[in-house]
Amino acid sequence: MTGRKVLMDFEVTPTSHSLDDYRARGGYEALEKALRTMKPREVTQEIVDSGLQGRGGAAFPAGRKWQGIDPDDGQPHYLIANADEGEPGTFKDRWVLEYTPHTLLESMLLSCYALGVRHCFVYIRGEYDLPWRRLDAAVEEAYAAGYFGENILGSDFSCDLFVFRGAGAYVCGEASSLLGSIEGTRAFPRNRPPRMTVRGLYQAPTVVNNVETLATIAWIIRNGASAFREVGTEKSPGTRLISISGHIARPGVYEVELGYSWAKFLHEDCGGVLDGRPLKAVIPGGISSQVLTGKDAKVLTAGEVEGLTLDHEKLRSAGSSLGSGGMIVIAEGTCMVRLLQIMLRFYHHESCGQCTPCREGTGWMHRIIDRIVAGDGRAEDLERLNYIAGFNDGTTICGLGDAAGYAATAMLDNFRDEFDYFIENKRSKFAGNLE
Amino acid sequence: MTAIFINGQSVETGDHTTVLQVALANGFHIPHFCWHPELSVVGNCRVCVVEHEGRGVGIACNMPISDGMRVLTDSEPVRAQRKAMLQFILLNHPVDCGICDKAGECSLQDYHYEYNGETAISGDAKLHSTKFFPLSERIILDNERCILCSRCVRFTREISKSNVLGLENRGDSMLVRPAEGRSLDDDPYSDNVIDICPVGALLSRSFLYQARVWYLEPTPSVCPGCARGCTVQFWHRKAEWRLSGLDERHNTRVHRVTALENPRVNGPWICNKGRDLPELLDRPRATQALQKGAPVSLMQAIETARGLLDQAGKRVALVSSWGSNEELRAFRNSLGDYFTSFVKPDHLPLEGEVVEDDLLIRADKNPNTRAAQDLFGTAAAEIPDDTELVLVWGEGVDFGTLPRGVKILFLGSWLLPENGHADVFIPISIQTERRGHYTNFEGVVSPFEACQPHRDGVIDAETLFPLLSAPGGSASGGGAA
Repeated sequence: MTGRKVLMDFEVTPTSHSLDDYRARGGYEALEKALRTMKPREVTQEIVDSGLQGRGGAAFPAGRKWQGIDPDDGQPHYLIANADEGEPGTFKDRWVLEYTPHTLLESMLLSCYALGVRHCFVYIRGEYDLPWRRLDAAVEEAYAAGYFGENILGSDFSCDLFVFRGAGAYVCGEASSLLGSIEGTRAFPRNRPPRMTVRGLYQAPTVVNNVETLATIAWIIRNGASAFREVGTEKSPGTRLISISGHIARPGVYEVELGYSWAKFLHEDCGGVLDGRPLKAVIPGGISSQVLTGKDAKVLTAGEVEGLTLDHEKLRSAGSSLGSGGMIVIAEGTCMVRLLQIMLRFYHHESCGQCTPCREGTGWMHRIIDRIVAGDGRAEDLERLNYIAGFNDGTTICGLGDAAGYAATAMLDNFRDEFDYFIENKRSKFAGNLE
Repeated sequence: MTAIFINGQSVETGDHTTVLQVALANGFHIPHFCWHPELSVVGNCRVCVVEHEGRGVGIACNMPISDGMRVLTDSEPVRAQRKAMLQFILLNHPVDCGICDKAGECSLQDYHYEYNGETAISGDAKLHSTKFFPLSERIILDNERCILCSRCVRFTREISKSNVLGLENRGDSMLVRPAEGRSLDDDPYSDNVIDICPVGALLSRSFLYQARVWYLEPTPSVCPGCARGCTVQFWHRKAEWRLSGLDERHNTRVHRVTALENPRVNGPWICNKGRDLPELLDRPRATQALQKGAPVSLMQAIETARGLLDQAGKRVALVSSWGSNEELRAFRNSLGDYFTSFVKPDHLPLEGEVVEDDLLIRADKNPNTRAAQDLFGTAAAEIPDDTELVLVWGEGVDFGTLPRGVKILFLGSWLLPENGHADVFIPISIQTERRGHYTNFEGVVSPFEACQPHRDGVIDAETLFPLLSAPGGSASGGGAA
């Protein structure tokens, strides 16, 4: 078992996504409690106290984001649940949408109440068909039960929800770019300042939160911030949904209490590396987080010195992040050159093209790695990759450009010998295919 | 008053809100491609980076001012990042400056020499894209040169509001293209995108391969296309680069017209009609004085005209709304007493032309109606049947509408069939051959300068009027050639 549960605290059955089942396990009680006994600001305070961090990738404190909005300033505000889960290796929000969409809806109602939002949105990626159908059905049920619309549960609070399906661009998962997509313009990330909590959707203050972040809110309001603080670590309270894939015996979505031992998670809960091969590396949180090498992981497995645990601070000190929770396990014998090629092809293909470093840099890196894999690598190529990646980091409008840089630098830093070998011998150090 | 420190120097921020604006207003140069003072901030070129001390490097165009902030425009990290951004921008740019019309006035060229100065560090082949994409009848687009700053797209959205241009595809395959179902032909301000393009991606068909810009020089002038009176620059060949072996017209022709920035009148924009002024100016010129269609000397024609003036009883003048303030004043001073004068429109809106809009274009297609009407009133021309002499100054009068048998004294610049029907025709100079001022419909007076040589056989109207009114004695001197 992977520690205490916040979201996966029920048994998945063929009807567990329905309103009846959700209510049977205490659903919408938090909403009733909040509408009867709490003021909007008290709800926000509860989230601040809970120490909940964003689950989308940046781990920004959710409460602090919310405090950027004054619920009583008289202007329209918007709340958007970001369900455009496009980070490769990440499929955790899908679990929420498919198996307990009402958790998200109740949490969104609580958030709207806290933030003075009359209209909220779920931006769901176009490829998610079942999640979308489940979500849409849940929204219909919730409207029929009076949880959305005018004067919800007899209170003054009114709220409407719109489900917006994206069209499959990775960049739409970037919060500000998502706004453009909803507004009907080109999905380009926007420059900060202004922050979205100052000027977001339709120029109004807007909060964009990840599905998992929002879905946690109902639990926090139902059980209180202090109960939430007891879960997880002091600095990273709560749990994370981890979608694990790659060379792993039992891939899937797991809820892991933050601070849980990584080695235990990999080797016991997930059944260890596929076919019992040795672990080479782990990409802990979507390909946009920095890769961790098997060297560190081995330290873990042996339970030596500082057993790496799954929480934000530990991973940050290890030079990576839990990111979007999309964990990719890489077994020994995998060619990292070809893996980087796939990653860079992705970034090149998905670069929105707005700002110079990402538009040109991702394509440039992709062409270089293609050349290396084709056997035409040159001695200066790796320096060049480092240079491009270095100037992709921190110079772009949005974080996705930075991430393309991380991917390359992390791979080059950790597996330099494989790249050198590939360039020198015009072939991979490893036999076999990555796929 | 807020003050910030740029490179250690304290500067007042005035009304500005971003570091880039303050820096440019105070003489600190920060390179920029996508930023334009009249357009929204998109921050996509990433070249205008500065270092906010203690906060790291960021783009100046979107960096808000805070009191006492300290900014460095030329620190080591700033130089390194600028250099890298220029390497990125040049990665797929063809660097075909040798055959590019923008060479010599290209931001990318300038910044490359100033801030990069290195050859490409990429050894890979450049990406290819569309050359000579026909954006409209007037403009072609070279997608290889395009650096995707989106100035042109924003111009059609924010200034001309035609929403014609958009971006297609993404990443390094992104292209500027007309939006679905729209054409840049429908935008009467389209040629401004050529001016604001920081590189040579947007090219004017009429100026394509016509001249290298460093052989040309601009002369400040005023567009006579409508009552807005936009200030413009007429670009013509520099005297020291005179071509001797080719047609002389290469040396005198106006090669292109660009806007002369003027916040009181037109800002940095002009409409396409202003761009087409060379066509208007290149029409065949009348250089021969005529008497009932027969060639005579200019002196002879003036003499005859004065005779007509003395003999005629009732005299009416149709005053040109294309005359400069100086010419109009000379007319009133010299001939005002002889004539009942009316101001006529020399030009009416042409078929298919935008008559009026909210940006610049005015319905009155003449540059100086306001000044003429201030002197001669606003009444429409009424020519009684017993009129004996009509003085027609400039274009726009159908002689068939004048009373039968009336004597016609015609002052014109162009080779027109009417010239031969006048009793006396005297050729006068055009705007590009003299200096003067126009008063626009709002009363703003703008000067224009001569940029073409005076034609033989042509006289300035300002010189002519005193000669016509001189009592008795023969005409002498002046601009008469």
